[in-house]
Amino acid sequence: MLRTSVHSRMRPAVLVPMLSALLTGNGTGGGQEPAPQEQQPAQVIPPGRAFYFTRAVYTSYGRWRPSWAVDYPKADVQFLYALRRLTGLDAYELENPVALDDPELRRFPFLYAVEVGRMALTEAEVDGLRGYLLAGGFLVVDDFWGTREWENFESEMRRVLPERAIVELPQDHPLLNTFYGIDSIVQVPNVGNGMRGGPTWERDGYVPHLRAIFDDGGRLMVLISWNSDLGDAWEWAENPHYPLPYSNYAISLGVNLVLYGMSR
Amino acid sequence: MVARVFELLFKYRPLVFSRGDLVAASPIPLGAIIALGLVALALAGLAYRRANATLPPRVRVALFGLRAGVVAVLVFCLSGPALRLSTVVPQQNVLGILIDDSRSMGVADQDGQTRGATAAAAFAPDGALMRALSQRFRVRLFGFSSSVTRTDSVTGLTFEGRRTDLAEALSAARRELSTQPLAGLVVVSDGADNAGAALTEPLLALAADRIPVHTVGIGTERFEPDIELRRVALPPSVLQGSVVVAELSVQAPGFGGRTVPLVVEEEGKILSRTEVRLPAGREPAAVRAHFQVSEPGPRRVRFSIPAQEGELLAENNSVEALLTVEPRVERILYFEGEPRFEVKFLRRAVADDDRLEVVTLLRTAEDKFLRLGVTDSTELAAGFPRTRAELYRYRGLILGSIEASFFTHDQLQMLADFVGVRGGGLLVLGGRKALANGGWAQTPLGDVLPVVVDPAAADTTFFVEVAVRPAPLALDHPVLQLRSTAEASAARWDSLPALSLLSPVREVKPGANVLLTGNGPGGPYVVLATQRYGRGRAMTLAAQDSWMWQMDADIPLEDDTHEVFWRHLLRYLVSDVPRPLTARLSADRVEPGQAVTVTADVADSGYVQVNGAQVQATIVDPAGAEHEVPLRWTVRRDGEYEASWTPALSGLHELRVHAEQDGQVLGETVVHFHAGDLGAEYFGAALQEGTLRRIAEETGGRYYTPSTLRTLPEDVAFTESGATVVEYRDLWDMPVLLLALIGLLSGEWALRKRRGLA
Repeated sequence: MLRTSVHSRMRPAVLVPMLSALLTGNGTGGGQEPAPQEQQPAQVIPPGRAFYFTRAVYTSYGRWRPSWAVDYPKADVQFLYALRRLTGLDAYELENPVALDDPELRRFPFLYAVEVGRMALTEAEVDGLRGYLLAGGFLVVDDFWGTREWENFESEMRRVLPERAIVELPQDHPLLNTFYGIDSIVQVPNVGNGMRGGPTWERDGYVPHLRAIFDDGGRLMVLISWNSDLGDAWEWAENPHYPLPYSNYAISLGVNLVLYGMSR
Repeated sequence: MVARVFELLFKYRPLVFSRGDLVAASPIPLGAIIALGLVALALAGLAYRRANATLPPRVRVALFGLRAGVVAVLVFCLSGPALRLSTVVPQQNVLGILIDDSRSMGVADQDGQTRGATAAAAFAPDGALMRALSQRFRVRLFGFSSSVTRTDSVTGLTFEGRRTDLAEALSAARRELSTQPLAGLVVVSDGADNAGAALTEPLLALAADRIPVHTVGIGTERFEPDIELRRVALPPSVLQGSVVVAELSVQAPGFGGRTVPLVVEEEGKILSRTEVRLPAGREPAAVRAHFQVSEPGPRRVRFSIPAQEGELLAENNSVEALLTVEPRVERILYFEGEPRFEVKFLRRAVADDDRLEVVTLLRTAEDKFLRLGVTDSTELAAGFPRTRAELYRYRGLILGSIEASFFTHDQLQMLADFVGVRGGGLLVLGGRKALANGGWAQTPLGDVLPVVVDPAAADTTFFVEVAVRPAPLALDHPVLQLRSTAEASAARWDSLPALSLLSPVREVKPGANVLLTGNGPGGPYVVLATQRYGRGRAMTLAAQDSWMWQMDADIPLEDDTHEVFWRHLLRYLVSDVPRPLTARLSADRVEPGQAVTVTADVADSGYVQVNGAQVQATIVDPAGAEHEVPLRWTVRRDGEYEASWTPALSGLHELRVHAEQDGQVLGETVVHFHAGDLGAEYFGAALQEGTLRRIAEETGGRYYTPSTLRTLPEDVAFTESGATVVEYRDLWDMPVLLLALIGLLSGEWALRKRRGLA
């Protein structure tokens, strides 16, 4: 008996939880109740592609919309457009959100998660993500700022990989030269600050970091872009008012992340 | 019984007739006797013609015929028929008796008695046979096994010889007795020759000298119940940590259908234990054993089946082989035409295998490559190798999802030569740009691949998920050993998640082996196939996402199926890849005193055979002494050099072969062989009656068994060899002639009486 293949898996509709949050008043300033990660059948994705840009769907708290869906799906699709144009990668053109507790997650060894400062994983999600990472999946974390959000994320990751430390990514790590040569870590501001020319930081996240969790073989399991917002730079890259250096950097790093995740 | 009746009727045994010439010994000229007979016949004919005209013609013919028979018998008797025979002069000739002194004569298949004891009893110094022989001949007794030694008595034989060399025994006895009048030789043996020397030459020499060789077969042809491990086929060397599949030939008359353990050991350590079902009947069948040897260097591996109750011979239940475990690192180039997860997971699967080094060249964009695992900044700096020298550095090549048009025509030919000429291992993976979709059908590589690449099958929309399972009879293949036992491997294969194909492969080339098949819509499909091509090996893995065997949610985290599969696959891919200098031996285990031949294949760095090289073997014996042996070009084949050497000591011998040309080293390699007790006497130990009969027939001798030995002394006397006299033996008084006369006359009388003529 064959297992369900990728082409029969359904994508969740992002608008449903948004509307639901509005109607129930579970907005940004709300309490600590986890936001439901509702899914419903939407559309079929085609099978047999080499790469699906997969966004982690997880449980979070305290916003009018689920944290995982920030910049979704435009950031994903715009990044895919650049990725396909710049590399020889046979990437599926559209977004592909998958819940952490979905067994199908293992079919997508590259995973992108955002706004993890409000992450509140269920036990099933913890198990799903742990299994995913230990089997060989690669997680990229983006767009969370400041000490408080870091502490939340760190505590969640301690639940997922309690035996692994989070360390600073060395400047000479091969990730930074997989496709493009990246000499320095740039703080990519959110779209508002970026277009207004305001501060690049948020809260107390003044310094951008690339941090990592490695496996026993010294290979990256998790890459954490903290105090930076690659997703906004992808999402607004086509906007003439968005500063080009940020989108250049974000796309370069994104391409490196994908190619690293597919080859190491 | 037939011989007895014959002797009763014809006075002598058939052998006497076969050895003698029929002559007419009467003092009356033969012509006169025949004339007299004709006259008598004429008179008889006339008498019957006149006797009674009323007799029907057929009766008269019958009566005449009977009378003619009488006349013929009388004429024959009057002619003085005799057999002219050449017989030995008593005590003037030598008779050589060669008794097999090898271990196989210790087999107790003579109603509980050993073959040696049977021979000793038959040829006992005070026995009737030896007395009868001694009356006619001067008997010279020899014991033989791998060599021949004179002995005074059969009681001096120990039956401990480790090899039986019939050819050498016959030649040596002939040489030893060449100065004496030799009446013949008697060979007493089970015929189980294991020296491998051809009998033709000594037999022709004996036949030319008219020296008959009489053979006495001792033993039983129906050697059962017995289990015998006859032959073991192993690769001469394996990469350290590889799974080795040994194929053994087992024969088990009397134990057919029984399941027994086949144990593989190395220096007392059990490497594997496999339950095998013994074949029925006398025909040998192949059984396989899988094992891993972790320690590098030459290893003596022993295969055995425990002795069963009632088994005739336990010593042939085990067999040894020498296996060289190579600690080298094999470099494999993996060229991938597009980023995909197969790169990551393939590399990870073999990352912990310190004998495999996968150098990866990944095309990330048009004319942009990512190099992984290179040794220095220059390796693959210009992309895929453009010269043979650059490509031939690797022993294996994996081609991923890459279109044929990426390569120049010369590169395509180079890829084919990598397999056919260099002898490398090529693995082509399935993918978006692979096989038919990659336009590989009409390329030089299309010929190399084990699968038929059908250009009509090119379809960029094709996608099918298949359950991948071992092909029939392929479960024993080393690549498919996912677990330590065959049962566990089979169970694992049955539960693996599906993989996907982007190009349908349904047909393999003649001679290719299908290892994995895919069952799914429109299937079955060929997933993994292999074939030899030229000096190398080509394989195709049509699936595009073997990494699902690592990542699928049904795969437990601790499961190592994906790693094991890729390690086995890549190790197999490069397992027989030659180097510019390779050496092989005629045998990896020999007895001391048995010659071993080393053959070297010498080529330059481009794998072009070299005939003018200086090739030298340095043999290090177990005592540490070095012996220099030059190898000479055989002329039979380009680049082939050969030499023979005979070990004197028991133990492991190391052969270091070195080749150079014009001062430039072409290569060095090391092979090993072990000299010692092979126990060869216990294998194929059943009576080889055919061999013994052949020896007798081709030299004019006879074949005997212990029960027919009674006539040997007289039979041996009829010989043309040695000091002989001519002897005539009368035939006129053979009882059969008297019976013929009585019968003919009685018949004539009875017929005459019936017709009223009496």
